[in-house]
Amino acid sequence: MKNVLLFVLFLTTTFLGYGQKEVSGTIVDASDVPLAGVTVMVKGTTNGTASDFDGNYSITVEEGQVLEFSYIGFTTKEVTVGTSNTINVVLEEDVQSLGEVVVVGFGTQKKVNLSGAVNNVSVEQLDTRPINNVTQGLQGISPGLNIDFNSGAPGANPVVNIRGFTSINGGNPLVIIDGVPSDVSLLNLIAPEDIESISVLKDASSAAIYGARAAFGVLLITTKTGSKEKTSIRYNTYVTLGTPTVVPEKTTDPYIYLALQRLSEDNTPWTGVGTSAERLSWARERSDNPLSTVGVRESINNPGLWEYMGNENWTNYFLSNNTYSQNHNLSFTGGSEKVSYYLSASHNKHNGSLKIADDYFSRTGLRSRINVQLNDWLSLGNNTSYLISKRKNPSYFNIQTLYNFAPTDWDKNPDGSWANTDVGWMGARLTDGGNETGKTNTFQTTFDTQAWLIKDILKVNAEYTLRKEHYNYDANYAKFQIGYGPDDVREEGINEVWKRFSDEQYQVLNIYGTFNKNFGDHALTLLGGYNQEESRYDYVTLNRDAVISSSLPTLELATGTLYGNQYIRSWALRGLFYRANYIYKDRYILELNGRYDGSSRFPKDKRFGFFPSVSLAWNVANENFMKSLYPTLNLLKFRASYGSLGNQDVGYDKLNDGSFDYIPSMGSDLSDYIIDGELPLKITAPGIVSNNYTWEEVVSKNVGVDLGMFNNKFNASFDYFVRDTKGMLTLGKDLPAVLGASEPKENAGDLRTKGWELSLSYQNNFGNPNNPLRFSAKFNLSDSKSTITRFDNPNNSLLQYYEGMEIGEIWGLTSDGFFRSQEEIDALDETSIIPWGALEIVEGWPKYVDLDGNQKIEKGLSADDPKDMKVIGNMLPRYRFGLNLNFDWNNFDLGVFLQGVAKRDYYPRDYLYWGFYQQPYSGGYEHLQDFYRASDDSADRVANHSQSYINAGLANANTDARYPVLQAWLADRNLGERLDQAQGLAIPQTAYLLDGSYLRLKNITFGYTIPNKFTKNMGISSVRLYFSGDNLFEWSQIADFFDPEAVSDINERINPAYSAPRGETSGYQYPYQRKYSFGVNVNF
Amino acid sequence: MKKVFNISILMVLALVSSCNDDFLERLPETEIVADNFFNTEEDLSIYINGLYSFPGFGMYYADEATDNSATTGNREIKTIMTTEANSNTITSGWDWNYLRNINLFLENSPKADVSEEIRNHYDGVARFFRAQFYMGKIKRYSNVPWYDTVLTTDSEELYKASDSRDFVIEKIFEDYQFAIDHVLEDQPQGAVNKWLVLAYASRNALFEGTYRKYHDELSLAGTANTYLQMASNFSKQIMDSGNFSIYNTGNPNSDYYTLFSSEDLTSNPEVIFTNINIANVKDSGAWSGVFGNYEMSPARDLVESYLMADGTFLSDQPNYETLTFVEEFTDRDPRLSQTYAFPGWELIYVTNYSSGAANYVQQLNKNFTGYHQIKGFTNSLDQDFRNDVDVPVFRYAEVLLTHAEAEAELGSVSQSILDATINELRSRVGMPTLTMSVASDPVQAARYPNVSSPVLLEIRRERRVELALEGRRLEDLNRWKAGKLMEKEPRGLYFPGLGKYDLTGDGIEDIILLGASDVVPNPEDRETNSLDVTLIYYRAGTIGEDVDVYLTNGSSGYVIATPERGTFEEPKDYYRPIPATEVTLNPNLEQVFGWD
Repeated sequence: MKNVLLFVLFLTTTFLGYGQKEVSGTIVDASDVPLAGVTVMVKGTTNGTASDFDGNYSITVEEGQVLEFSYIGFTTKEVTVGTSNTINVVLEEDVQSLGEVVVVGFGTQKKVNLSGAVNNVSVEQLDTRPINNVTQGLQGISPGLNIDFNSGAPGANPVVNIRGFTSINGGNPLVIIDGVPSDVSLLNLIAPEDIESISVLKDASSAAIYGARAAFGVLLITTKTGSKEKTSIRYNTYVTLGTPTVVPEKTTDPYIYLALQRLSEDNTPWTGVGTSAERLSWARERSDNPLSTVGVRESINNPGLWEYMGNENWTNYFLSNNTYSQNHNLSFTGGSEKVSYYLSASHNKHNGSLKIADDYFSRTGLRSRINVQLNDWLSLGNNTSYLISKRKNPSYFNIQTLYNFAPTDWDKNPDGSWANTDVGWMGARLTDGGNETGKTNTFQTTFDTQAWLIKDILKVNAEYTLRKEHYNYDANYAKFQIGYGPDDVREEGINEVWKRFSDEQYQVLNIYGTFNKNFGDHALTLLGGYNQEESRYDYVTLNRDAVISSSLPTLELATGTLYGNQYIRSWALRGLFYRANYIYKDRYILELNGRYDGSSRFPKDKRFGFFPSVSLAWNVANENFMKSLYPTLNLLKFRASYGSLGNQDVGYDKLNDGSFDYIPSMGSDLSDYIIDGELPLKITAPGIVSNNYTWEEVVSKNVGVDLGMFNNKFNASFDYFVRDTKGMLTLGKDLPAVLGASEPKENAGDLRTKGWELSLSYQNNFGNPNNPLRFSAKFNLSDSKSTITRFDNPNNSLLQYYEGMEIGEIWGLTSDGFFRSQEEIDALDETSIIPWGALEIVEGWPKYVDLDGNQKIEKGLSADDPKDMKVIGNMLPRYRFGLNLNFDWNNFDLGVFLQGVAKRDYYPRDYLYWGFYQQPYSGGYEHLQDFYRASDDSADRVANHSQSYINAGLANANTDARYPVLQAWLADRNLGERLDQAQGLAIPQTAYLLDGSYLRLKNITFGYTIPNKFTKNMGISSVRLYFSGDNLFEWSQIADFFDPEAVSDINERINPAYSAPRGETSGYQYPYQRKYSFGVNVNF
Repeated sequence: MKKVFNISILMVLALVSSCNDDFLERLPETEIVADNFFNTEEDLSIYINGLYSFPGFGMYYADEATDNSATTGNREIKTIMTTEANSNTITSGWDWNYLRNINLFLENSPKADVSEEIRNHYDGVARFFRAQFYMGKIKRYSNVPWYDTVLTTDSEELYKASDSRDFVIEKIFEDYQFAIDHVLEDQPQGAVNKWLVLAYASRNALFEGTYRKYHDELSLAGTANTYLQMASNFSKQIMDSGNFSIYNTGNPNSDYYTLFSSEDLTSNPEVIFTNINIANVKDSGAWSGVFGNYEMSPARDLVESYLMADGTFLSDQPNYETLTFVEEFTDRDPRLSQTYAFPGWELIYVTNYSSGAANYVQQLNKNFTGYHQIKGFTNSLDQDFRNDVDVPVFRYAEVLLTHAEAEAELGSVSQSILDATINELRSRVGMPTLTMSVASDPVQAARYPNVSSPVLLEIRRERRVELALEGRRLEDLNRWKAGKLMEKEPRGLYFPGLGKYDLTGDGIEDIILLGASDVVPNPEDRETNSLDVTLIYYRAGTIGEDVDVYLTNGSSGYVIATPERGTFEEPKDYYRPIPATEVTLNPNLEQVFGWD
């Protein structure tokens, strides 16, 4: 009580001691030029003003308070108010933006001193808008960093790429998190809020220090560290409601569906589905009188069985319109002179779109980062994380099946059992057919130490990391009940249990020394080090049939034979690396990087490679002759680099990682034939391995320019690069099939990628200087294009890569509308492209331009003689861009983020687009109703049609149609998609080539920060509330059929030799979501 | 501080100096390198297991697109006959991986530390598989390059020309002979033994003998008898062994059917080789589509080739060409009703592709014959049973048929041979015996104009009937040079006109055929039969009309199934083209008989 009294007394005297007064002055820059619009704030209050055109200001303050002078492009200056009533201020040009530090391999560099192509990514977006993982936040924000989500499934990882097509073997950027090589899936388990900085190393000179694994760039991630200040606590949370973006528009009218299905079949020589007159008449009644006609009844011709006539879009039955997701992140950061720490815990649960069963991905992470300064030259640190992820969904979940249901299907019988239809079976399977759960636990710890051998000049770092990743997958298939008829419910399905688990142990050791000293105008940095890595991956899969009880689906409680497989993969890398950086007068920069690397993935005599690089930069703005332009032009820097890197990333995934590809070995499996009552073991023959098998070499050249103007209000950066991927491991010379084995991979192909990147940014304050509207805009645009420069394909076969081929090109026919008469059909022989060799060419059939003028439409299979084929488009995305706009005003903030691809072609080949044209088993898309009808239906046909069919105009002639005569199998892809296999509309053609470009309103976030005065009494230093919308809108032709991002699953299809398996279709993706979120950021 | 520095330097040096040591040497642990294998008998046996290749349930639908069975699906012979097929469109079959796997074994087996007898046994099995592989190639391409070593990427032989049929066939029968001489007789259930080798050798010797005899384009007729004699000898060896007999428990109406719907055939005396299925160990792959209206439907032509139960020809019956469904199943060879769904047959296993339960009413559909196949259809609700059903890959019945045919082709067939072969099969189903004095059936004779012997014609009939819908028909037509038979339009059930029909054989109508312009009444207005079951309504018409079933005369005639059968071009269509891409890679390869 006494203390309180004293405190009140103190406050009172303080208040009395410092009276309010008017302070004024002039603000100028270093050259004595008055600065207008400088914000003058009393620190810790909302009291503020701005300087006028002549740089003058005045403000009412109390003595002892602090004035804050801030202006874009200049460093903020603070002046404590003393007794004087005049405070004149000289603002220094903001060296902070020039002094900005960028994380590079094994160190940091001042941004201004960079000579390679390095982009420092803004990480603000990662915790101010609701994203489920880091890569979602990175999409579209850095030029040349390409992030494609091939699926909207919860927990789906994107393809991350730097600077476009890399190698025909694939080849991804190296992801390094806190100095430890990782991968995208691991990156996506880290809470975005824990990220401190991200650098994208794009050219050889910046990536060369990572040698063998960095051929296609590096994504350098640094997580947050502790501070030397008192503890601050931060809590972020949001909740999200998601709804699918694009779901195919399907016909729900049962008569239209069945009548068109029947028509599509009647126009072929086959009956696969067969719709009886009786079903059609029921469908007509259902369509005309949906309320008075039942949809399920006991079969008339087969008493004892149910029969069905639904009228629903069953996609909506299974996919939900609002799935709920949530995110929490809590972090503590702080420390003292000696110790600093950062601790965080996070949890994110992302629910998928499936309505009737669990379908989600969750991640939970704990991080601890501690650094101890033992004495003035030695520090120790530890960085440990434990990450848990879980993916759960029903065992039978298959998104393609969900899209394909006929509207005439049905879900449940009158007795409540699942109907004997595809929909009913799927419903039963999803709810009772068992679940699969995949869990990954990743533990990683890094011990590091830094010793200054010569203070501020020479230091040595050592880091050791151990990572253990455990994967545990459980699945079971359980029997389920299907109602065949009244009092006839049968058990169907299997009782089977699956278990998979894997253990991966990965270790890295890095030791490196750094020397850094300035000699007058000369600055020299030397770095040299050693790196070794090893990994061992052990994967086991087990399964057993005949589970006794589906409620206890374990291996132990099953009576079938127990089957098991085990796969072990291991690899090791060892390398020496260096960097020498020399800077003269802050103007001329020379940097040499290099690495000598050995990999266990290559034969002993071809194991090592040396990968050097050099880069130069000239900081023109620092030259004396440019001073006159200052500060209008405050940065102008030219950069150039050249270097080579190795690519050892020749595998696809952990199981097919290329570890032993140079060793011909024989795998084992169970035989397909029972001998003596059981399936014995079998061994498969070894493949052929080439003698010519070593690193792919990637040589890249880069030139760039950086520009800063108007005191850095405007910044621009441009890079142009040429990247040669040499000796790509691929099938060498095409050999006769009598060889009897797949041709071995060897270093046989070359590829050249050219591209450029542009980024522009602008920031400024507007409006009332007392309360300015802060605005910033960032725009980035990039492009690249790849061409095969060497490939052993002497005949330029279009079924292989060939020299001069542009990657992604689509060969196809040129549409010439439809055949409109028998004379036209007779005049042009299109028989060679008839699917299955058996459809009939009739009026309304697609007609093509006879490019070679021989009155025949034929596919040529060689680029030398393509007959009627030509390149009609390219499936690779071009001109990717992102635009980020931010507004800040009076505690309100608004961010708008647009992202897109300006050029891309997509040729559709699946049910989602072609429906009955593909096969009569599935279809009924509304867009396909605009098909060619040569004549009106006859009167007795019309009499049988439903009113809906007549109203839709389907009984009338339609010769001005978008789609050809309705012929099933005309667009069938089951013959294959490869050029020699594709027939009919499965051959790409110009009329149905879709424009895959898009502009997407990726995110809008509107936030409000509650003024400090309301919250500080609660011990809260700031609270921000926000509403956010993701994927709100897209401008795109393709979005009528597919989510525009769903067509990026083309990686395999780029290869002209690729023959897609029957089940594998493109564009058929798990739905992407529009998301509406509410979130809170709290700082204590 | 200096110490730390020194230690660091030393550490770096120590690590670097051992750069190319074991650290970078990682070897597979769950795969084996060839150098470390082929050491023991078990190694040989495990590798041989990987070479096994025998038909499964697929054999029951392999007769599609022949005169036995129509199909709406895609079959190579159908594509060849109906399109302008060439070496760019017909590209399957030129696959050589299997041969390399076999030759790799034969090159490595000498390493194994096993007795000569054991090595020869496994070598014999490998050579048996090689003979099988090359017979497959001969049947498609006639001339193919012969390789008995493992090729490498720089082998010159990659570019060699095809060897002649004669040369390759000799090599094949050397392999068979080696296998016959060395593969052991006594092997576990499901493993290759000497008898299986003999069975395949006899089948393929008969193939080659008859092929040479009838295919004059080869100019090898002079050597036909060598192989016919071989076929006779091989089959005789099996017959003389006494190890096998026709499965005959005295139930002529079910014994035959049992062979194709049995959970365990391993102890069946007739089955020389079983593809064994055990539920939850290896599921059978039995497919209900073989019965239903998926793609295939057996043809009327096959129905007509069964004899009457009294041994007389169907063509002796008045109006035999216009018998209705119930009539044509009356008093026939009992094998017909064990192959086709007959009037009154009960459907138990109902799936999405077929409708109806209990007494099955033949479902009619456009492009299907209306006949349904029950051979190879596992008609049971019990999933474990369906998964358990074994496949009789090679039946002793075929060995008997082979022997009879070889002897007949050689001109040395006798009543005792017929009794030991054909009449064994007939006795199982209670059919009268075939005698040397059999008359000539004009219908059968018209099928094979190049055969004059009535006995041989009847042997061919017996073969077609006994092996119906087991996937042997296309090869038989090919070797008899009877490909033209596939041009015949496949027909289905015969309906003399519109109206009501009994399809279940109880004399009560089950379906009603309406005309194309008739309207199907609403359910409550439909007629019921005397059992109070609603009739099934169909509208019949000609192709192109909006109806449910096509009849040859619109309102009467045969059900039409996939009418377009195209042209069988002789001799070209007995062969297949080498894929164009392969000829480009190796111009020494030549296409045969008009392929381009």
